[in-house]
Amino acid sequence: MSRPASTWAREAAAVFAKEWRSELRTRYALNTLALFAINTLVVVSASLGPLGAAPGRATETLPVLLWLILLFAAAAGLPRAFVHEEETQTATALRLAATPSALFCGKLAYSASVLAALEALVAPLFLAVMNLDVPRPGLLVATLAAGGFGLAAGSTLVAAIIAQARGQGTLFAVLSFPVLLPLLLLAVELTRAAFAGGVPGGPEGPVSQGGAGVAMVQLLLYDGAVTTAGLMLFPVVWNP
Amino acid sequence: MPSALRFARVCRRFGRLAVLGGVSGSVAAGEALLVTGRNGSGKSTLLRCLAGLLAPDSGEIELREGEDAAPLDAAGRRRRIGLVAPDLAFYGELTAAENLAFFCRLRGFGRERGDELLRRVELPPDRLAAALSSGMRQRLRWAWALLHRPRLLLLDEPFQNLDAAGVAIAHRLLAEHLAPGPGAPPGLAVIANPVPLDIGETGSVAARLDLGA
Repeated sequence: MSRPASTWAREAAAVFAKEWRSELRTRYALNTLALFAINTLVVVSASLGPLGAAPGRATETLPVLLWLILLFAAAAGLPRAFVHEEETQTATALRLAATPSALFCGKLAYSASVLAALEALVAPLFLAVMNLDVPRPGLLVATLAAGGFGLAAGSTLVAAIIAQARGQGTLFAVLSFPVLLPLLLLAVELTRAAFAGGVPGGPEGPVSQGGAGVAMVQLLLYDGAVTTAGLMLFPVVWNP
Repeated sequence: MPSALRFARVCRRFGRLAVLGGVSGSVAAGEALLVTGRNGSGKSTLLRCLAGLLAPDSGEIELREGEDAAPLDAAGRRRRIGLVAPDLAFYGELTAAENLAFFCRLRGFGRERGDELLRRVELPPDRLAAALSSGMRQRLRWAWALLHRPRLLLLDEPFQNLDAAGVAIAHRLLAEHLAPGPGAPPGLAVIANPVPLDIGETGSVAARLDLGA
């Protein structure tokens, strides 16, 4: 059933606002993501930190650690986007009142904003404790923005698919692996480029083939593809 | 133009368990259909099929918003029905008013409509949904179901947990839904209950469907 764009946007905005209102009351996702991210960051910095990471290898290894921290923090909190609606039986009311694609977009916007907040907290801390200089801060910010959105889009899509299944935790891990792997590879390469100030990577790396610009375009295409897939698939998995 | 609901030979299985085996019925505008049957006879399943929340394995369900109108598809039915059901829950961390305001915004109404219905069901607007008693939650379900002035009300054990005052409010709301007065089209309702039900002065149960004792 097609809906006017203004109606659709109003519904998506209502879902986004409701998610944040609920989150600010319960602090579940924010606390889970921040606690997990900071704990991991402390462990990484204590074991590898500026004293432990050899300067020559820092720009190769540290981007991987940064994105692993973000991935696992996201995996700890974002799968609840739809699972919580099923567990608390609020999904029925949503199914009857909301346009599925608007609901998906509202949830995605919320997840992306939570991840953006997490990145705003974790990235400066990570750079500080690792004593890293960033020659291309603009590229890092763009990578975090596009990568964070892709992480949110992939997580929201998988969360929607698993919401009505049993063994949701296992399913999330299994399904999100192939969905998020291309994103993580691109994000890591772009973060390396931002840390190194040039275009690093081996001959087979996606960045080395076409430069950071091409990798960024690929990352944005990934974001668009996953969001489009979510908009197309969600009505099917959400409704009978 | 009067609305009408017609369903024919509706079947639904869960794995090997046949819950609905070819159920048929119809309701016209201004009328209510009372569905009775023992626990597990498929009353709630029938209502969820009618609501578009469950796809029947076979059979036909037609909700028309006028005599000459085309039947709505499942997505259309979902938006046009109001549901009161035991498994319908709200956001516990939001107040009753905030819950209704959220759904008002989704449905394209101002929050005044939610506030008005909270007054009608005599619920405190500022109490968190998680802190509502079971009877109060049932009143909130009634308010939620009527938020968008639906044509079809699907009521699954609609008087469950309500006190005498709550039952009287629910009777009044149902009567107004079925016969809203001049200028507004009459609604229709399907009421599911395990035992025959007294719906007070509504007096408009047009048909009864027994799914089995």
